[in-house]
Amino acid sequence: MISKQDFPAINERAPEGVRADGVAFKVLVVDDSMFVAKQIGQILTSEGYEVVATAGDGLDGVEKYKEMCPNVDLVTMDITMPKMDGITALEQIMAFDKNAKVVMISALGKEELVKKALLLGAKNYIVKPLDRKKVLERIASVLGK
Amino acid sequence: MRVEYINPFVEAAYNILTEVLGGEIKRGELYLKSTSMPVMGVAALVGLAGDVEGRVIFDMSIDTALNICSRMNNEEMKVLDEMAKATITELANMITGQAVTKLHDLGFRFDLTPPALFTGEKMELSDHKVEALIVPMETGLGKVEVNVAIRDRM
Repeated sequence: MISKQDFPAINERAPEGVRADGVAFKVLVVDDSMFVAKQIGQILTSEGYEVVATAGDGLDGVEKYKEMCPNVDLVTMDITMPKMDGITALEQIMAFDKNAKVVMISALGKEELVKKALLLGAKNYIVKPLDRKKVLERIASVLGK
Repeated sequence: MRVEYINPFVEAAYNILTEVLGGEIKRGELYLKSTSMPVMGVAALVGLAGDVEGRVIFDMSIDTALNICSRMNNEEMKVLDEMAKATITELANMITGQAVTKLHDLGFRFDLTPPALFTGEKMELSDHKVEALIVPMETGLGKVEVNVAIRDRM
């Protein structure tokens, strides 16, 4: 019988969402769209990241970040949301933790808001529709992988 | 209605539908409606207000909506549940987002409302004193009509 050991392991690579010590990077997803939150979750978990929580608006996002800090490695933040928008939530998270790693998720047409977010401390941004490769590249680069 | 208002929506719908659904998207003949018109079953409406005012509707049958949702979620969706509604809403968001970027580049300034989703049978749409241009898009998963009614602010 042919077993896995009979093949050279040329294609094996560590999933991007896992550190060298085997612990997954923890992500908080803040998005008012169930669809987008699910999409981000699927992309990230497929690479070994752990989505530790999701929040449906900016206010909930800030509260969850404060609750879970320092057990959150990265936040994905939508811009247009009810109750509190993603820019205000970003400001509040940065004021609470200046080392927070926040990646903005934006629809096209929000360039000014994305620029503002980057000036306020967001580490990167991703424009929808979400492309799996782009999402993983940007997030890995923010986490210094 | 000025044609420069509609082109960005048609281009954006074509680009986004091609990107998220894959396959060939065929653009049908554009037509004009000034009276009330039937709505197919699922309609996502985005309002515009600023230098221009009006609304854009993405109209499709429930079957088409479910086909699109199934493709976008990579799983079969048989009912128009909350996730399916969020998916169609997001599709409308992405298309209007790209169209508005183009219109802003052309110098028009206006804000958008978040998409509102209408579902039901035998719905009819009436716009008061504004004509609507309709662009049918054949997606392979069903027809999506982009229905644009925008005018200069008076």
